[in-house]
Amino acid sequence: MVQRTLLPAGMADVLPPQADHEAATVRRLMAGFASYGYEAVKPPLMEFEDRLLAGAGAALAPQAFRLMDPISQRMLALRPDVTMQVARIATERLNRRPRPLRLAYAGQVVHVNGTATRSARQVGQVGAELIGVGPPDADAEVIVMAAGVLADLGIGSVTVDLGIPTLVPALLAGESLDPALRRRLRTALDRKDAGEVVGLVRPQLGAGRAALLARLVALAGPAETVLDALMRLDLPPAAASERAALAAVAATARALASALGHPAIQIGIDPVENRGFEYHTGVTFALFAEGVAAELGRGGRYHAGTLGAGEPATGVTLFLDVVLASLPPPAEGPRRVFVPVESGPEMAAQLRRDGWIAIAALAPAADATAEARRLGCSHVALAGAVRPVEPADPLPSHNPTEFLQEGHH
Amino acid sequence: MAETTSIVLALPKGRILGELRPLLDQAGIRPEAAFDDPDSRQLRFRTDDPHLHLIRVRSFDVATFIAFGAADLGVVGSDVLMEFDYPEVYAPVDLNLGRCRMAVAEPAELVAEDDPESWSHVRVATKYPRVTTRHFAERGVQAECIRLSGAIELAPAMGLCQRLVDLVSSGATLKANGLTEVETIAHISARLAVNRTAWKTRPAPVSRWVERFREVTGAAEA
Repeated sequence: MVQRTLLPAGMADVLPPQADHEAATVRRLMAGFASYGYEAVKPPLMEFEDRLLAGAGAALAPQAFRLMDPISQRMLALRPDVTMQVARIATERLNRRPRPLRLAYAGQVVHVNGTATRSARQVGQVGAELIGVGPPDADAEVIVMAAGVLADLGIGSVTVDLGIPTLVPALLAGESLDPALRRRLRTALDRKDAGEVVGLVRPQLGAGRAALLARLVALAGPAETVLDALMRLDLPPAAASERAALAAVAATARALASALGHPAIQIGIDPVENRGFEYHTGVTFALFAEGVAAELGRGGRYHAGTLGAGEPATGVTLFLDVVLASLPPPAEGPRRVFVPVESGPEMAAQLRRDGWIAIAALAPAADATAEARRLGCSHVALAGAVRPVEPADPLPSHNPTEFLQEGHH
Repeated sequence: MAETTSIVLALPKGRILGELRPLLDQAGIRPEAAFDDPDSRQLRFRTDDPHLHLIRVRSFDVATFIAFGAADLGVVGSDVLMEFDYPEVYAPVDLNLGRCRMAVAEPAELVAEDDPESWSHVRVATKYPRVTTRHFAERGVQAECIRLSGAIELAPAMGLCQRLVDLVSSGATLKANGLTEVETIAHISARLAVNRTAWKTRPAPVSRWVERFREVTGAAEA
């Protein structure tokens, strides 16, 4: 038994063939975004802490690893998220480019802690940001593009859950609730515990406001069944305008989804959803697939740049680990052919031009067919012809084809 | 959509299950016979609804099964929800079962001379280290938790620590062990809990079950 290297908690090696599958999936997602005009940018892995975690990024500060930069002697933070970096690029470096500005990225982020259900601390993210335009058409474009790109990957039944984390604060604006009560109310809303919401709110703000909040909790569900009821609720003006923003995005996204040929995308509404949307300022969304316990991605409206300056923006972040777990196993890749020494490098070159994966022998092999099988090749090039190789026995355990057979659960 | 995939309801073993059994009847959930057979080792049960399955796990584990999506719905105490606080778990219905409170207790003789104002550090035996730490931290007291999974009331008498945090219903166990309840942390009851993704991706069957539990518990929705 070999002593294996232990990696830090939440860090993992990705092996063949999963690493190839992951890279191919990133390429397909980025190609999907590119087809809508989203151009790739590549921000660095770390930045000065005070800059990366300023403004809207402050919400992510508890998740950021820090280290000291020996050159500047200032603190650096490893990025816990890429959206804020792209917003910085848009508002500071590409500020003279015409708006709307469409940018995309693919990269790794690291978090100080995993979550209870997802222990990974390094996660791949693929995302797109649409900067310089307000709602609702920009929101609809990003939402339907993200859901559509996932559907095109082969993930069936994508559900988009729309939220408006600014609605409840608008409803409670100007009310003097003590901070502890506000925290307990937030927990009760997050748990969709309508009874607890009523119990907390009624003594302070009266039965009317309590009933209204409980009603909002209950109005979570498919857009076609809850939106009408949500629109009929009697809300104060500030909250009503947040609701109008949500309804406008829902309607625009539904129309766009069916126009773009994605009628299977389900659109849901959740007016009190808040978790995971720390820096958002308008309509948000989370992407789900049936049978996958975690979100495939999330996004929404935020403010790009510093407060007072800056511009409206919306975007989406896809979580690569969850996306990969939701995908059907990859289609058969190019076939692998073993090219023994006697077939020569010219034959290998020709096969590669023809789309084969051609594995050249580095030393003469007594039995070319056996050697092809040992190396996990489906074919062998002998005497100018390509012949199939009988599949290897499942044993012995060091056979590299084992990885091919075991991949993708 | 997706009416065909079945719903898994996780139920806790032990104390609450007895109280819960009539509620299942009222909700129209009729499990197979093995469910009520105390000698059965079975942990998964069919019901007369082919799209509803039951599993029986430890009460602390119900929240975990739901958080990971291994169960879609479950019955779980609000004490467990407070301890784990999984963002993937919703708790929409108070089932009004298993009512009790989570409390701080200490030996009766300590109460007389104890001044909570002067605490800076306490050692506490509990099943709920996270709730306990948070509770004491809110008033600036460092709590060193000794995590036990049962017989918490024994800890002070055996010199493990002086204080404990546990569930109290009648207070008889505390009294029998010479302990006095000094502070209530929260009122506890069993909740119907729901996996977030299940609710989002299969709204029809999930919300139907939520509504049914809401009706039979008479929980007013507003």
